Amino acid sequence: MVRIAQDGLGAERASLRALFNGFLKVALCSVGGSGGIVFARGLVVEQRRWIDDRDFADILSFCQFMPGPNIVGVAVCVGSRVRGPIGALAGVAGFTLIPLTISFSVGAWCLRNTDLGMLQGLLSSISAAASGLVIGTGLRLLAAHRDRPMSLSFAGLAFCGLVFTKLPLLAVLLALAPLSFSIAAIFNRRAR
Amino acid sequence: MSSPSAPMALTFHLALLSIISFGGIPSVLPDIRNYVVEAHGWLTDREFANFFAIANSLPGPNMILMMSLIGWSVGGLPTALASALATFGPPCAIYYFAYGLWDRLRDARWQHVARRSLVPVTIGLIIGGGTVMARTADRDWQSALVTLAAAALILWVRVNPLWILIAAGAGGVLGLI
Repeated sequence: MVRIAQDGLGAERASLRALFNGFLKVALCSVGGSGGIVFARGLVVEQRRWIDDRDFADILSFCQFMPGPNIVGVAVCVGSRVRGPIGALAGVAGFTLIPLTISFSVGAWCLRNTDLGMLQGLLSSISAAASGLVIGTGLRLLAAHRDRPMSLSFAGLAFCGLVFTKLPLLAVLLALAPLSFSIAAIFNRRAR
Repeated sequence: MSSPSAPMALTFHLALLSIISFGGIPSVLPDIRNYVVEAHGWLTDREFANFFAIANSLPGPNMILMMSLIGWSVGGLPTALASALATFGPPCAIYYFAYGLWDRLRDARWQHVARRSLVPVTIGLIIGGGTVMARTADRDWQSALVTLAAAALILWVRVNPLWILIAAGAGGVLGLI
């Protein structure tokens, strides 16, 4: 189905083991939902160079629109982009099998022993840092758009919609996406 | 506490919701809460909140983890497994086929427009999501400082983010943060 990247950055052919291990590491490092974005970008763009920053942002926004756990979607898309269907399977398997087994065991244990001051100190300071990592990674992705005022203003609107209103993510997305798309379409027509 | 058909009902409901969870599993979280807490009484509100907190502070796919913890308390280990699969199985198939289509049409003009217009919105949502996360995580100025430092380090210094998390965790254990 998916056109497997053969040129440029994708030239370094990803082995299935590298996909499995890579997304295993991404999952083990990611705390609190979108924390995975940080490590997924580090793996596929910086470390392995399977795809570039633009393609990564493309996959991310595609996954945010689709139903389901977003970061798992990133594993599916990157895996299928570099190795086809088996690659997608390897990415998802790496992302879920071992990390879920570990964190499920720890989580079940925590629920039975909820009164652990040290553990809570550890978890809360880690999530403080993790949220900072997400913000920093988002700003890095935004840097590619810094010379486009329209892009910056829509990023700003999306940010405000999520942070200052109590609207769910989907509502913000559905409110802004058509507006942003129509404006870009008008500009595009004028440019030609 | 729950009837023999409860595991089946839960698994089916999760599979259904995962297919319509546009924008991510958190978008159907209120619905899942209604189903397991109010409609069936499988969990208390407190338990649901605890599961959410634990899933968010442990590494790994956190929403899948949360659903498997819910499954675990409804029907033991088999239901935990079924709930996890129901949460990410159907969406994975959708991701795969939809991305194939999206990728095949990548040179279509409407897709250039879509890419240029939608990517900034989702980047704004990522930064916003991190900020919302920080708002619950930062209970004092020390932890707010940790958030700021982490953001600055990842933005301007090429440092493996794992070290940042390890340093923050060590600070938390020693009671510095």
